[in-house]
Amino acid sequence: MNQGIVFKLNGQPVSYTGSAADRLLDVLRQTYRLTGVKCGCNEGECGACSVLIDGHLANSCMVAMGRVENCEVTTIEGYSQTERFQVLEQAYAAVSAVQCGYCIPGMILASECVLARHPHPSETEIRLGLSGNLCRCTGYNAIVKAIQIAAEKGEGLW
Amino acid sequence: MVNGFSPATLQEALEIRARHSVTPYAGGTDLMINPDPDAVYLFVNHIPEMKQIEQRGDQLHLGAACTYTQLLEHPLTPAILKAAIDLIAAPAIRNEGTIGGNIANGSAKADSVLIFFVADASLKLNSQSAERIIPIRDFYRERKQLDLRPDELITEIILPTKWLDHYYYKKVGARKALAISRVVFAGLLTWQDDVIAHCATAFGAVSGVVLRCPELDALLIGKTRSEAQAAKAGYLAAFGDMIAPIQGRVSAEYRKEVCLNLLTDFLTSNGI
Repeated sequence: MNQGIVFKLNGQPVSYTGSAADRLLDVLRQTYRLTGVKCGCNEGECGACSVLIDGHLANSCMVAMGRVENCEVTTIEGYSQTERFQVLEQAYAAVSAVQCGYCIPGMILASECVLARHPHPSETEIRLGLSGNLCRCTGYNAIVKAIQIAAEKGEGLW
Repeated sequence: MVNGFSPATLQEALEIRARHSVTPYAGGTDLMINPDPDAVYLFVNHIPEMKQIEQRGDQLHLGAACTYTQLLEHPLTPAILKAAIDLIAAPAIRNEGTIGGNIANGSAKADSVLIFFVADASLKLNSQSAERIIPIRDFYRERKQLDLRPDELITEIILPTKWLDHYYYKKVGARKALAISRVVFAGLLTWQDDVIAHCATAFGAVSGVVLRCPELDALLIGKTRSEAQAAKAGYLAAFGDMIAPIQGRVSAEYRKEVCLNLLTDFLTSNGI
């Protein structure tokens, strides 16, 4: 029962030797120092702690470490190395879709999931895709616009 | 792993369940809200036998570890279940949360559980030594009190699909996404040769367990439209006597009124 939990973190194989009951959010921030993953509500409501598990959006505050064994976990630190990220970053900047920034790591990963599913998303598809990611600054319209721009500029990437 | 088991097969999971004191972990989205730091989890989220979706005759067999997203995207998932899942939380939670976990959490506010009640679904419970199939209504004894032995796992939900096509579903929450039901209602009504062949209703978030009263719904079965219209007042009054909502974030009076409004709307929408 003492083998570590083996998983891939931002492309690198790692083995976590702590408890399987530990929160993925805490482990990402405290053990692996990936502080782009934010803690907002700690109960799955706000999306600030969003990560990708095998390409699917997940709230890392709602995930125990044992669940990610043999999985691929991607945080904003890993995703920011991709070409898709560059497109989203420029689109967000172009329409000032970032204000305080706390929700943005999660918002970017939610944006990735919207575009991976719908390369040419409707406004409704975007808003449904972001429905678990709360932003208290922007009012969302700029973020929706940024995703529309990214879909256009990143044609063929998703 | 420390404080956890991650079996590859159902057989292995049931052996661990029999030998150790473990908390089954399917999606984790209820467990992790208030996690027990000393919990030892049995991770069942990737066990293939618990992720299957299969139609056999009039019954749909749903693996207990199917996630909401998996069901939303599956062609065999009935529309009424998709309607309910569509309003549960948000994509990230639906990617993790499972129907078996929703049942095992024991809450009467669980939106997928309501559908299993109105459909008179059964649960398949497995232990190393036995398998039993029981109606979901018998599984819920009272709030958080489930007929689940320490060595058992919920492995499958068996959903009779014959009467699910003509449905009414409404969730009343504080907002559209990420809402916990204040009242949630599902109704099934099928006409055959101008007679009501089937009627079933269920109310969530009003009492310790989902409220399902087949003996009252039977008041309408076999009736023509005009007979049903004549029986309507009695039917509503009977439910009025039956519904004694719990006081929570919203008042009991509000909950009861909403329940009866939804029940009335369900009948009206069926021309009764």
